[in-house]
Amino acid sequence: MSEQAKTGDTTVPRSRGGSNALKSYLGAYGFMAPAGILVIVFFLIPVAIVLYLSLTNLASSNFTSNLAIMEFIGLKNYQTLLNDQFARKIFFNTIFYVLVTLSIFNVSLALLVSLLTTHIDRSAGFVFRALWILPRITSPVVYILIWKRMIAEAPFGIINQFNEALGQPTYNYISTNPWVFVVVVNGFIGVSFGMIIFTSAIESIPRDLLNASLVDGSSKLQRIRYVIMPLIRWPLLFVVTYQTLSLLTSFVEIQLLTDGGPGLYRTEVWSLTAYHRALSNYFGNAQWGYGSAFAVLLVMIGVVLAVIYMRVFRFDELIAEPRVEAL
Amino acid sequence: MFSRLGIALIFILVLSLLTGIVGAQDSISITIRCKASPPEEDWRCNNFAEVEAEVEANLGIDIELNLIQDNAGWGDYKNEFVLASEAGEAPDIILSGHEDIGAWAPAGFIIPLDDVIGMHSEFDDIVPSLWDSHGYAGQIWGIPQDAEARPIFYSKLLLRDLGWSEEDIESLPDRVAAGEWTFADMLATAEAAVEEGIVDAGNGWWHRPSNGPDFLYYYYGHGGEVLDMEGNLVVDSEALVATYELLGGAVASGVLRSDVIGLDWNEVWHPTVAQADTVLFAAGGTWNWPNWAINYVADKGGDEFLFENIGLTLIPAMATGKAITLTHPLTYMISSGSENPDVALELIAAITTPEHNNKHAIDSFHLGILNAQLESEAYANNRLLSSAHYMLDHTTALPNHPGWNAWSNAYFLGIQAVETGEADAAGAADIAIAQMQNELGDGITVR
Repeated sequence: MSEQAKTGDTTVPRSRGGSNALKSYLGAYGFMAPAGILVIVFFLIPVAIVLYLSLTNLASSNFTSNLAIMEFIGLKNYQTLLNDQFARKIFFNTIFYVLVTLSIFNVSLALLVSLLTTHIDRSAGFVFRALWILPRITSPVVYILIWKRMIAEAPFGIINQFNEALGQPTYNYISTNPWVFVVVVNGFIGVSFGMIIFTSAIESIPRDLLNASLVDGSSKLQRIRYVIMPLIRWPLLFVVTYQTLSLLTSFVEIQLLTDGGPGLYRTEVWSLTAYHRALSNYFGNAQWGYGSAFAVLLVMIGVVLAVIYMRVFRFDELIAEPRVEAL
Repeated sequence: MFSRLGIALIFILVLSLLTGIVGAQDSISITIRCKASPPEEDWRCNNFAEVEAEVEANLGIDIELNLIQDNAGWGDYKNEFVLASEAGEAPDIILSGHEDIGAWAPAGFIIPLDDVIGMHSEFDDIVPSLWDSHGYAGQIWGIPQDAEARPIFYSKLLLRDLGWSEEDIESLPDRVAAGEWTFADMLATAEAAVEEGIVDAGNGWWHRPSNGPDFLYYYYGHGGEVLDMEGNLVVDSEALVATYELLGGAVASGVLRSDVIGLDWNEVWHPTVAQADTVLFAAGGTWNWPNWAINYVADKGGDEFLFENIGLTLIPAMATGKAITLTHPLTYMISSGSENPDVALELIAAITTPEHNNKHAIDSFHLGILNAQLESEAYANNRLLSSAHYMLDHTTALPNHPGWNAWSNAYFLGIQAVETGEADAAGAADIAIAQMQNELGDGITVR
């Protein structure tokens, strides 16, 4: 024991506290290190590379993986992007797609399915939830082929065969209602994520709490409104945040279903444009630099939205130590 | 010192090593990447397997041939080669569209062939006009694999319903080639078919449902040019507006569907056109024919059904007064990363013969590339090929230029705008030109 300790000097606990704090910090960083390394290797470094690519004129016709010999052109790609007559349209398409899909399917329908399947027989609820997971676990190509076969025009599409049989006109649904199907097709996939999170949150609410509300005379709807909803607030906010960012970057189903059409970019979203520019072009000579500029802006939008969500939804409170523990 | 047995063992060991080294030196690996629609286009890669032994014997080497073939989308296929080249894993021979020369030659991914083409007499017989689409910066960068025509397919069935005589129907290709029966006549015929209820509105004429080379012949047909004399990109605004007027007018008159762009090739376009009872005129490619015969009307008699009900003709004359078509030769190019370009070229030369190219031409209805092939019995007696080969005399081609993708994408935007009614012809031209200028900057001249 040190001299200071013998004298009861207050620095003793501080010294020991400092050591403990250091250990605590090291432990925390140690535990965070694997995740941190993943973020650095698979997010920060790629973002830095894409940012650099966006400042070059890299294309198939001058392609190289050597960053040092790429031709640096400053902000020219961003200037071209801002002057693109369809950039604004594609931006608002993206906002529309994210908002509508998120609000109708990824949150509302997911919540509805969770509530309904947790209020019926347990095994029946499990079956219904398993059915809703099918779109998620089906290969996107197969999933879209099924949809295409469903909505193709007569005599090839199933829905139009019903239309014909009922004496109704037939439609090329992709042409007449592209957004409806883009949203529905993506929404059916998106429901499953929220459904799983919400269901597990609802199932983890103590049964006596739920039963108590019924004993107190509430209806099941009132129980949902005043007991369940407040208790699943955090999972709800998490799903909103996560799915917003997920929808911002998703484009595979849109590419397979409409490829951004019909007409002038009617269903083209920002991430699909980045893909089209940088990675896929019928006539070759993909524009890696220009496509990277689209990708960089998408990352910036995602980061800004993530920060806004964290502030608005007060995520610091979500991860804070429970007050009962802090006492 | 050494026993006799020991010396003998050392001798055998040294001999084995030497034999192994010599053997290893003689075994040369050649990888060939082809894009082909099976089964009718399988000869694009399979022909190499046919000549492997012959080339081995000629060169006195052992070739380890790796043929990689699938029917991937063009965008993915081309990117794969670009990335593989940069990674040092490119195939020795890549088969792709000739327009890729415009991107891959300046990138250094393929090698010029001027100095070596003369070493192989097989190449002397290639139809001279095909070399035009294989040049870039004054050099030749590829060997033609095939040629084709992109014709108008017409439904004999529906023309008969419209009151055309057999003589009228059978003479149509000749009248089109002579410039007597024009694109305006075609639209008028289609309009009459719609008005008389022989076809539904929008089914008088279909063009392809996605971006592709075909659309350029409407622009060429109005006198438009893509490259100037110096090889720089240009756009002729008058020809552009006229092209968009033609396409927009066809939609407005009920001849062409406003949503034809976006139709699924395999789910809707091919099965509909191949039946010959729904669409009067369809702009396609010669290779569509065997695809239809095998996949869509095999139960009705395949080829025989098609000959009975569908004919093909050049694209009727537009403003220039000349019937045209467009050929998009696929090209064997040799990777700059190939360690054995001479062997690769030897293999290409070995399959550039009437015998081998005829297999591909006949099975896939692509046009021949060799003069001798055109005179060969198998080719000349093929009813389909003989009905289309003359089209090569009227053909046009895509340019080989790094900026071609930006040009063509902007041009296609205008087509989408005018057909969906989002812009009139002048507005569509403005959209296309603004897009070209934004992306190509000083690299495009508007005339």
